[in-house]
Amino acid sequence: MADKKQNPVTGGNKPKPTGNGGESAKDKSRAASRPVAAKGGGGGKGGNTPRPGKGGTPSAGPKGSRTGAYIAWGAVALVIVVIAGLFIFNATKSKTQDATFTAVTPAPVQVVKDVTTIPMSTWDKVGVTSQAPVAKPTVLSGQPPMTVNHKSPAMLYYGAEYCPYCAAERWAMTAALARFGTWSNLQITASSHTDVDPATHTFSFHGVTFDSPYITFKGIEQYTNQPVGGSTGQYTHLQDPTKEEAAILAKYSSSKFNPNASTSGGISFPFVNINNAALISGASYDPQILAGQSWTDISGGLSDPTNPTTQAILATGNYMSAAICQATHGQPGKVCTSSGVQAAAKALGISAS
Amino acid sequence: MPTLRWQPIASFLLCVYGLGASIYLTITHFEPKALACVSNATFNCEKVTQSPQSEIFGIPVAILGLVFFVPMLLLCLPVAWRTADRRIHLARLVMAVTGVGMIIYLIIAELFLIKAICLWCSSVHIATLLLFIIVATASPIVLAPGYGAADEEPADGDQS
Repeated sequence: MADKKQNPVTGGNKPKPTGNGGESAKDKSRAASRPVAAKGGGGGKGGNTPRPGKGGTPSAGPKGSRTGAYIAWGAVALVIVVIAGLFIFNATKSKTQDATFTAVTPAPVQVVKDVTTIPMSTWDKVGVTSQAPVAKPTVLSGQPPMTVNHKSPAMLYYGAEYCPYCAAERWAMTAALARFGTWSNLQITASSHTDVDPATHTFSFHGVTFDSPYITFKGIEQYTNQPVGGSTGQYTHLQDPTKEEAAILAKYSSSKFNPNASTSGGISFPFVNINNAALISGASYDPQILAGQSWTDISGGLSDPTNPTTQAILATGNYMSAAICQATHGQPGKVCTSSGVQAAAKALGISAS
Repeated sequence: MPTLRWQPIASFLLCVYGLGASIYLTITHFEPKALACVSNATFNCEKVTQSPQSEIFGIPVAILGLVFFVPMLLLCLPVAWRTADRRIHLARLVMAVTGVGMIIYLIIAELFLIKAICLWCSSVHIATLLLFIIVATASPIVLAPGYGAADEEPADGDQS
């Protein structure tokens, strides 16, 4: 071929310096204009033969190279478009999902009544027995009573409205605390629509008031259930603990006190501290049991001790009640001496009276 | 004919980074507590590295990263870029295409299955993508007839 004629490889070339990535522009230019036939192979078929371009003319090389460049850049563009498309699709999908969340609204009167006036007989019949597994709180000893806003004893809840585990825990907390005081301004909402156990119906403790002559309660909902646009699982910020509360949370959520402490160093939602004597980290029961049930479905069943959902809620509530009774030194007596609370206290190895 | 200038050294450095990150991710796959990473609702390395998608056919993805970057590092040595042996350049191209295919799968897994992004993994994905861009765009040059001949001619010539 034409190239072969014009290029004896043994042309007296001296070894070239190999800086600049291996070759100078001049070297490359020479290499391009020379065939490598005399190299005896050059590493595979085609290496010694000019690429058959259109018509197989000597100018086919540059044309072929240009075509190769187009293909290469086309492939790069395709890959970038695919990857960018994945991110754009994900962002669009998140935004679509972001539009759906359950607004926080005042709790219906009937729901409030049902959850705050559960018959003592129902509490006692359930005791700590539940068809669905219920985890016991972690009992601490030798810790000073909790003081929140100069009041003691106290109970601290730290969670978020989007959190499905918090959603489950709030039913038990609301019911248990109602035995020791009065709720005002209870709100209903649901957990995230996109997280596990989506849209679990529950209360929100943001903005509620709990008045009790026996124990102070502080609920902190750090995040709403409203997703931040375009993100993967972020929610708008709602509330931070005070310095005093943050110190309590930091101390008792550590692995020194909490066997379920987060390995990443943060505090897992929900975290409940009952007077520094009992800790709940994570859900006491599986929120799955609440799936598909409305607020009224759940609250309406709370007087039925055979209802599996009621059993999970009230068994958890009896554990909480026993820990609160320990903090209040058995006050009020009617609650703390009830068989359900006593059964929970016995299971926890604490005195509730 | 276009020439290679920065591509060999850039690809080599990307491979060094990718290999280092893969070693780190392999260690943290087996020792999750050694993982230093931002952890929030969007970014969560632990969630990603401990997910079911962190293994393919029982092989941790981090180890597959090592299996990718070790030969890729060799293929991206400046001397390998200079060679006239087309098999080397083809192997590099095939590896780069395989790598980018893998990161597309892993991005899908992170965004749609695990729903969390691992920053360390993402840095390796970016390195792999850049590597692909470099290798793909340099391929028309290094796979062209006669490429690398100039450097190897004298030796061949002397022998013949």
